[in-house]
Amino acid sequence: MFSDRQPRRFLDPQVLSRLAAVPLVPRKPMVGTVSGRHASPHRGSSVEFAEYRKYVPGDDLRRLDWRAYGRSDRFYVKEYEADTNLRLCLVLDTSGSMAFSAAGPAKIDYARRVCGALAYLASQQGDAVGISCAADGIVRTLPPRRNPTHLRLVFDVLEEAVPAGPTRLPEVLHEIAETIRQRALVVVVSDLFVEPAALGQAFSHLRFRRHDVALFHLLDPQEIGFRFQRPTRFLDMEGGGAIFADPVDIADRYHRAVAQYLDAVRQLVLESGIDYHRVLTDEPYEQLLARFLVGRAAGRGLR
Amino acid sequence: MTFLQPWVLAALPLVALPLVIHLINQRRFQTMPWAAMMFLASARALSRGYSRLRHWLIMILRMAAVAAVILAVGRPLSRGWLALAGGGRPDTAVVILDRSPSMLQRGSGDEAKLDAGRRRLAATLTTLAPNRCVLVADAERPPLELARPADLADEAGSPPHAAPADILRMLQLAYDHVRENAAGSTEVWICSDQRSNDWALDAGGWGSLRDAFAKLPQQVRFQLLADPLPAAGNVAVRVTSARLETRGAGRDLLVTVAVSRQEEATRVTLPLKFEIGGATTVVNLELAGRDAVLKNHAIPLERSAATPGWGRVSLPADENPADNEFYFAFDEPAARRALVVAEDPAARRVLELVAGIPPDKNERALADVVDLASLVGAAWDEAAVLLWQADLPTGRDAELVAAFVARGGQAIFFPPEAPTPGRSFAGLEWGAWTGHAPPARPQSWRNDQGLLANTLSGGALPLGDLEIRRSCALSGDGVPLATLADGVPLVVRAAGQDNAYFCATTPAPRDSSLAAEGVVLYALVQRAVDRGLEPLGRARQIDAGSAALPLAAAGPWSRLAGPADAASGAFGLHAGVFSAGGKLVAVNRPAAEDAGRIVADDRIDATFRGLSFTRIAPGGAGAADSLVQEIWRAFLIAMLVALVGEGLLSLPRRVREAAVSGFPAAEAAA
Repeated sequence: MFSDRQPRRFLDPQVLSRLAAVPLVPRKPMVGTVSGRHASPHRGSSVEFAEYRKYVPGDDLRRLDWRAYGRSDRFYVKEYEADTNLRLCLVLDTSGSMAFSAAGPAKIDYARRVCGALAYLASQQGDAVGISCAADGIVRTLPPRRNPTHLRLVFDVLEEAVPAGPTRLPEVLHEIAETIRQRALVVVVSDLFVEPAALGQAFSHLRFRRHDVALFHLLDPQEIGFRFQRPTRFLDMEGGGAIFADPVDIADRYHRAVAQYLDAVRQLVLESGIDYHRVLTDEPYEQLLARFLVGRAAGRGLR
Repeated sequence: MTFLQPWVLAALPLVALPLVIHLINQRRFQTMPWAAMMFLASARALSRGYSRLRHWLIMILRMAAVAAVILAVGRPLSRGWLALAGGGRPDTAVVILDRSPSMLQRGSGDEAKLDAGRRRLAATLTTLAPNRCVLVADAERPPLELARPADLADEAGSPPHAAPADILRMLQLAYDHVRENAAGSTEVWICSDQRSNDWALDAGGWGSLRDAFAKLPQQVRFQLLADPLPAAGNVAVRVTSARLETRGAGRDLLVTVAVSRQEEATRVTLPLKFEIGGATTVVNLELAGRDAVLKNHAIPLERSAATPGWGRVSLPADENPADNEFYFAFDEPAARRALVVAEDPAARRVLELVAGIPPDKNERALADVVDLASLVGAAWDEAAVLLWQADLPTGRDAELVAAFVARGGQAIFFPPEAPTPGRSFAGLEWGAWTGHAPPARPQSWRNDQGLLANTLSGGALPLGDLEIRRSCALSGDGVPLATLADGVPLVVRAAGQDNAYFCATTPAPRDSSLAAEGVVLYALVQRAVDRGLEPLGRARQIDAGSAALPLAAAGPWSRLAGPADAASGAFGLHAGVFSAGGKLVAVNRPAAEDAGRIVADDRIDATFRGLSFTRIAPGGAGAADSLVQEIWRAFLIAMLVALVGEGLLSLPRRVREAAVSGFPAAEAAA
C-alpha cells in the first residue's frame, strides 16, 4: 500500500492491527452510495428483517410473504434492512494553538495519529473517508472517497497539515454541515479554544443534518496544570497579543477559568448529544481509540 | 522604642529587600508560546480578591520578618509608654533621689518609697548600662559618681533625711555636672513623691533652669519616677514647745505636742511615748479629726537635772516611720528682753507694755527703752526682739540693727511721723502717710505660718477687729503677711531678711486700735520674742536642711541622739540632738513635711514644658523591678511567627486539575 513512500510517521501498524479487531460503526443510520456493512435508513435486500408492509399495486410480487397471506388472507410485503457504506468526514483543527507542546507530543501530532488511524480503519472496512483542515476557515478539504488511492491523499493532507492562524471552528463546522450531502460520521479533532456557545450552534447544525458527530477534545497537561515558577510572558500561538502574568499570582484564577470552560463544554455536549472525548495528550492514543471504538460497537444497531 | 544598639537601625531600609527581590524577579520573566490564551484572558478578568490579599500578606510578612530581625539585633528596650521618649543608651544617667522623710512612707509590698525607687532605678540603669552613673543625693553635696548602677541600691550614706529635698537645687547640681563634664546624651531620673515643699515650684529659678537645660547642646531627657500616693492612716507627731517651769521644790517640763494626719479617719487613741534622760513616760492622746494637741503636758524633773536637756517623743509604728518621733531640747527660760526704740511717746508706751508683759508668770520679760543716741550701749546680745518706731536706721545704727537681725534677732519696724525719703532697710522704705476714714480693716493675712498664724488651738487672731486710721506706704521687695483693702500692705516681711518685719501703722491711738485691741499686737511681739530667743538659748529647735547645715558646720556638732550611720558633715540633714559648745540643738523635719501637700501633675508638666519629660506612675512600668527590659526575644518570636505565616500562605494551593483530568474517564463510563 505504501511501497513507494516512506512509512507515515503518525501511523503505527501494530496499533492499527490491534484496533482493526473492533469495527468502526456509526451511532446513527448512514446513507451511503454502495452496499456496505452499516445500517441504512432505507429498506433494502439484506438478510436482516425489518418489517411487514401492506402490498400496494406495483410492488414486486416476488417479495409477497405467502405465509402471512395464508395466515391472514391479506397481502403483505416483507421488507429487509438495507446495508450501506459509511462516509467518515474527519475535521482536523490546524489552528496555531494545535502546535503547543509542553513535554509530550504536540496536539497536532496527536490529532494526526487519531485521524490517521480512524481513516485507515474506515478505509479497511470499505467506508469512504474525507478530511477537512480547519483554521481561519477550511484550509484543505478532501471529500469522502472509498478507493485506497484516496486514502493516500488523506494521509498526505494529514502529513502536510501545518498549524497556523486563528481558530474559526464553528464557522467551519457550519460550512461542513451544509456541504456534506448525506448522513455521515463527522469526527472533529480540536483543542476547542473557542467560545462554547458558538460551538453549540455548530453542533446543533450538524445534528440537524443528521450527522453522527464525534468530538476529540485535545488538551495538553500543562494547559490544565499551569505549573510555572517564574513570571512569564505568554505569546499567543494564534497570532494574538502577549499576556504577562505571574503564574503564582494568577494560577488559582486560571484554574477557575479552566473549570468554568470545561463545565460549559460538558453542558454543551450533553445538550447536543455528540460523542465527546476529552483527551490529555499524555494518554496513549491507542487507548483512546479503543475506548471510542468499543463504545460505539456496544451501541450498534441503533437507528 | 529605645534601643541599646541604635546604630543597627541604619539597616532598616533592608526591610524593603523582599520588595526589591520581588521586583527583580518580575524582571526575570520567561517568554513562552501559549495556546490556551482564552483561559489567561479569563483569569485576568476574574476578581483577584483573596489572591491579591494573599500576595500582599506574604510580602508584608516577609518585610516584617526582616524588620523583626533588625530590631532584635538593635536590642530594643521595653519602657511601656516611655518608649515615646525615644533615644538609645544614654552616655550619662543622673539620679536625683528625694530623701525627704515622706519618702519613707511604705507603699505596696511594705517597702519604703525610697527603697523601692532606688531598687527599681538600679535595675533600670543596670539594663540601660550608661557610661556613667551619677547620684545627686542631696542639695548640699556635689554629685557622686557611682562605679556601677547597682551601687545605687546599696550605696553608702543613704539614710533618709529629715530635711526636705530641694529638687530645684538638686537639678541645678545636675545641670552643673552635665555642663562641666561635657556629658553626651543624658537621662535625668528623678525619684520623688511630689511633695510641694520638696519641689517648691513657686520659687524663682525653675524657668531659668529649664531654659538652661534646653540650651544644652547634648540631649537631656527627664524621667520622673513619681509615687505621690499619700498614706491614709499615717500620723505625724511634732513638739511645738518645750519649756521648764519651776514648781515648788521641783521643776516641770511643759511639752506641747501636736499630732496630725492627712485624712480624717476613725477616732484613735495614740500612746505618746516621752523619753527624757533615760526615763520613759507614756501618755494617751485621743485623735478624732485630723489634728490633736497635747498642750503643756507636764513632765516632772528633778531639780538637780542638768540643763540644758533633751528628749524625744514618739508614736507607734505606722505607714511612715520618719514622722513618728520628734526630738526636743529644753533649758531654763531666758529673759524675754526687748529693745524699744520709739520717737512717739504714745507708741513707745504701748510697745513697752506689750514687750514687758511675759506670756507666762514663770518667765521674765524685760523691755529696754533705748534712745537713738545710745544705741551702741544697748544690750544687743541679750535682746530677742527690736521694736523700732522711728526713721529707718542709717550708718552705724543700721550696722548694729543688721548685725542683730543677722544673728537671729527679730526686728519689727513701725513708721515714723515723718519718714525720710530714700532711707531704706532690708530693701524696704517708708512712703507717705494715708488717712483712712472710716478706719480700714485688714482684709486678709497669712494665718498658716509666720507671726500672724492661727493659735495652736486653731483659732485665728482677731485682725479683722482692728481699725487702721492711718497707714504709711511701703515700697520695696517684701512678702505681705497682712493687707488692707485694695492690697495695701499692713504687715510685711522683708524679702531679703526673714527676721525683719514692717508694720504700716503705729500702736498710737491716733493711728490704729492696735493698743485697744491689744491681742494682735501682743501676739505679734511675743511670737517675735519667741523666735528671737531661739538663737539666744542653750537649747534650740531647728529644722533640718539649709538652716541647720551652716550651724552644724560652724559647731562642730557631736551627736547625742539620731541615726548612727549619718556622716558628721551631714548632721544638719538628719533628725537628732546634737551638742556644740554647751548648747543643745534638736534637729527635726520641717512642719511642711507633715502637711503632705502634693504637687499636681500638670504643674510639674508645665515646669518641664519644652524639655523631654516623662512621668512614670508607681505601677506604670509594670511590676518588674526594672522600668526597662530587653525585649529582643519578643522580636525573634515575631519573626518566627511572620515566617511561619509566610510559609503557610505560600503553600501551593490545591489545583483543580485533578477534577479536570479525571473527567474523560468518568464521562466515558457514563
